[in-house]
Formats: sequence, structure tokens, C-alpha cells
Amino acid sequence: MRSNPVLTSILIGLFGLPLVLLALLATGQYWRFPDVLPPGYSLDALARVISAESDLGAGLLLSLGIATVVSVLSTGLGFVFSRAVARTRHPDRWVTLSYLPYALPPVLLAIVIQPFIIRLHLSGTVMGVGLGLLMITLPFCTLFFRSFWGNQASQYEQVSRTLGCTPTQALWRVLLPLARPLLVTCLFQTFLIAWFDFGLTNYLSVGKVRTLTVQVFLLVGEANSRLAAVASLLLLLPPSLLLWLNQRAIARRVI
Amino acid sequence: MNRVILSFYALLIAGLPLAGLINALGYSVGIGGPLATGFTTQYWQQLSTETSLLVSLAFSLYVAISSVGLALLIALALVLNRQRMLRRWPFPALLYVPLLFPSLVVAFYLFQLLSGSGWISRMVVALGLTQTPADFPNLIQDGAGLGIISAQVVMAFPLFTLLFDGLYTDARLDELRSLTRTLGASEGQFNRKVAAPILLRRAAPTLVLYAIAVLGAYDVPLLLGRNYPQMLSVFITARLQRFDLADLPMGYLIGFLLTVGLMIVIYRTTRWTQRHAL
Repeated sequence: MRSNPVLTSILIGLFGLPLVLLALLATGQYWRFPDVLPPGYSLDALARVISAESDLGAGLLLSLGIATVVSVLSTGLGFVFSRAVARTRHPDRWVTLSYLPYALPPVLLAIVIQPFIIRLHLSGTVMGVGLGLLMITLPFCTLFFRSFWGNQASQYEQVSRTLGCTPTQALWRVLLPLARPLLVTCLFQTFLIAWFDFGLTNYLSVGKVRTLTVQVFLLVGEANSRLAAVASLLLLLPPSLLLWLNQRAIARRVI
Repeated sequence: MNRVILSFYALLIAGLPLAGLINALGYSVGIGGPLATGFTTQYWQQLSTETSLLVSLAFSLYVAISSVGLALLIALALVLNRQRMLRRWPFPALLYVPLLFPSLVVAFYLFQLLSGSGWISRMVVALGLTQTPADFPNLIQDGAGLGIISAQVVMAFPLFTLLFDGLYTDARLDELRSLTRTLGASEGQFNRKVAAPILLRRAAPTLVLYAIAVLGAYDVPLLLGRNYPQMLSVFITARLQRFDLADLPMGYLIGFLLTVGLMIVIYRTTRWTQRHAL
């Protein structure tokens, strides 16, 4: 049960290597086979994030916007839905139903709903992509908040009502403060689900909604490793920030 | 009020997917889609001749079982044998690092690392062991799916380690360890006969759901896989994006069957979890 320096070094190398290689790819110039290291370095590829010619800056803002809206909506609605589920006579049936979207891999979900997205005139729009992502994140949030609606929350609510709170006051002044840590964690996790998604977004966007993940794939297809590495590093920024803010929020991510 | 909220919830999460599945079923029996000619069972009968589908299914199962199995073994070994190490710096933070990586970025990184002209190949050339990218063994876009499995293992084992570590504490396995040692069991016997069964039983639903996620993975096999054999999501997507509209019914039929199959597995897993909650 002693610490093993070799094992520690291997794990540090394994987890640190992606960052090193991505940084080398993003800053290395004229890095051709068989050079082990780039002959020169430049930050011009990173500067393209804020340049008007590049889609990367726009993709970053678009991804941030979609992930933020989806996470806020699904956390709020999931909180309400999970309360309704907890109050039914057969919550287990609703829990099973909530797992339905997980039977469909995201890209398959996109394939299945695409004909209706087209009929709703949402194909290739941010709204269409957002709706698709909500179908994954909403049941996640509902399942996530299931544990909150136990006896304790109900008792607190009943006491507050007995003491004269209106239902709205009980929600705002008792239940929401009580659920705050869970709400924050759920917000972080749904943000990451939406931020990381590629398959569903790529299929529903039909090339028009170019989020960062879609751009990474397109850049890899164009063999533009430098910009693909820059986009990849940008993709790591919000999760790193979230990790720094709240380690447990990321750790509890449900698969 | 509760009923209205639940109806809205059901409509939001199940409405479109179920309508889509019915639509897919309609395609598969010839009563839906642009080529609808009236009810037919020809696509269902053709299923048995779809060898590429069987290969794709077998390949996806092989990748899912291998990657989850390998990740599980690594995580169990770390949690059971290196318990103290996992609690010391830098591990509590280090294990979270792979969770920051989207699967597409992991695939891109492994592509740049393991391909014929990748970083490792360049180092091997510098050591004088090979001379051209073609001399380097195929570690990605290979028939055995080594690249895909590597990516899935790299993403899964830190998560499983954190999961098992949490369960280890919850189940008070340290106390059980002391008790079994007092009763004369060796360290190996405790790991094999007490700790591993408890951890695996508690983590079973998560492991099954993770295996399903790997079975339906799209991003990683799209970058690290090759045209044949393909994993199921890539296979179905490729089928539905072909120019030949006659391929649509079979593509939708395969998608429909896969979804129904996975729904049954998830249903049984959730029922099992509800009945055997630990």
C-alpha cells in the first residue's frame, strides 16, 4: 500500500502528455515528419482565435452560448420535473422512462428525430441543436435531483407551509437554498454534456451550426492539425475552470 | 398540476424519440419515407443476409467489452492495491484531468500520438528503429480496433477509479480488510473474495450504462476506426447518409432494432438496480 514513484510518473505522464502534445501542435511551425520537435514556435495560430478571418472565436462563443442555455434550462426544468416524478404513485416507471434517451446513442437520437426537426423547420439551426441536447440533459437532471425529493425536503416544505409560507415562498426561501449545492453541480455537469457533444450536434446542424467540437472534426478532416489543436485546447478551457471551481461537480458526472 | 407537468416531461423526453422510432419502423416495413410502396417484410427478411451488420455488431461488442473490462481491471488494481497512494498528492486532482477531455479531443490526440507519422513513430525513427511512417505498426485505424480501445480505456479508467474509490469508502472496506486479515485471510483473498465482488456489485449499473455508451460511441471510432469493420453508430450513420435512398429502410431498421435492444438492456438494469439497491 506504499506510494509507487514509477506508477505515479506513468500516470502523470499519461495524463499530462495530451496537454504537451496539443500545445506543441498548436505552437509548432513547419513540424514535419520525422522531426521529434517543431523547428520553430509561433503563437499565430492561437491569435487566430480572436481574428475575424477564423471561425474559432465564433465557434467558442456559439458553444458557450448553447451549453449555457441548455444547462440553465435543463437544470431548472429538471428540478421541477423531478419533484413531479417524486410525487407520483409509481416513480419507478418515470425513472425507467427517463433512461429512454440513454438507450439511443446521441448520434442515433439525432438520426431518429431528424425528420421531425426538419418538419419543425429547425434543421441546421441553433434551436434544433439545443432541442436535441435538451433531450439528453433533461432526463439526466430529473434523475440527478431524484435523491433530493426525499423525506427531508418534504418535511422542510411542510414546516414552512405550516409557518405561513405560500408555495412560491416555500420554493424560493426553503427548497431552492436547500438544493443549492445540487443545483450548482447539476448546472456544471449539464454544461459539460452540452459542451462535449459532437455526434448529435454535427448531425442536427447539417454543417451550419459550427460549434467547437464540430470545428475540431472539420479541421482534422482538412489535415489542419495546428488549428485543430488550438480548438482542442479551447475545448479544455471551461472544464478546467469548472474543475478548479468545483472538483466534485465534475466527478459526479453520470455516464 | 402534477399530471400536466409530467405530461409535458413525457412529451419532451419521449415524444420525439418515440415518434422517430415509429417513423423508423414505418420505413422498415415500407409504409414510411420517400420510397414507401406499401407494407412489405422484405427488409426484415434481408436482415439475416446483412453480414456487415453482424460484423459491426460483433466488433462493437468486442470493443465495448474489451475497453470496459480493461479499464475496470486497472481501476480495481489501483483502488485495491494503491489505496494510500490515491489519497496523496497529486492523485486526488490528477484523476480528474482525463474527465476534462471531450472524446473527440482524446481521439485527435491519440491520432497525433499513435499514427504512422505520429509523435511516437517520430521518436522511433530518431532511435533508428524505423525509417518511414509505413514501418511503424498500425496502432490506429487498425482491424483490431486498438486505437479505439486505447481511447476508451484512457477515458474510462480514471472515472472507474474515482467511482470504486468512492464505493470503497462508502462500503467501509478498510474495516472489512482488517476484519478478514484478523480472521486469517491473505491480502489477495480479501481483494478477490470480499472487496472486488462488493465493488463490482455496487458499480454494476454504472458499468452497464458505460458499456452501452461505448457500444454506441461515435466520435472516437469516426477518427480512430477504419471503414471495415465499423462500430454500430458509424455503420448506421454511414448507411443513412448514402446517396442511394434504397438504403434508408435498412438503415432505419438497424437503428430501430439497436435502440429497442439497448432499451431492453437499460430497462432490465434499472429494474435490477431498483430491486437490489445496496
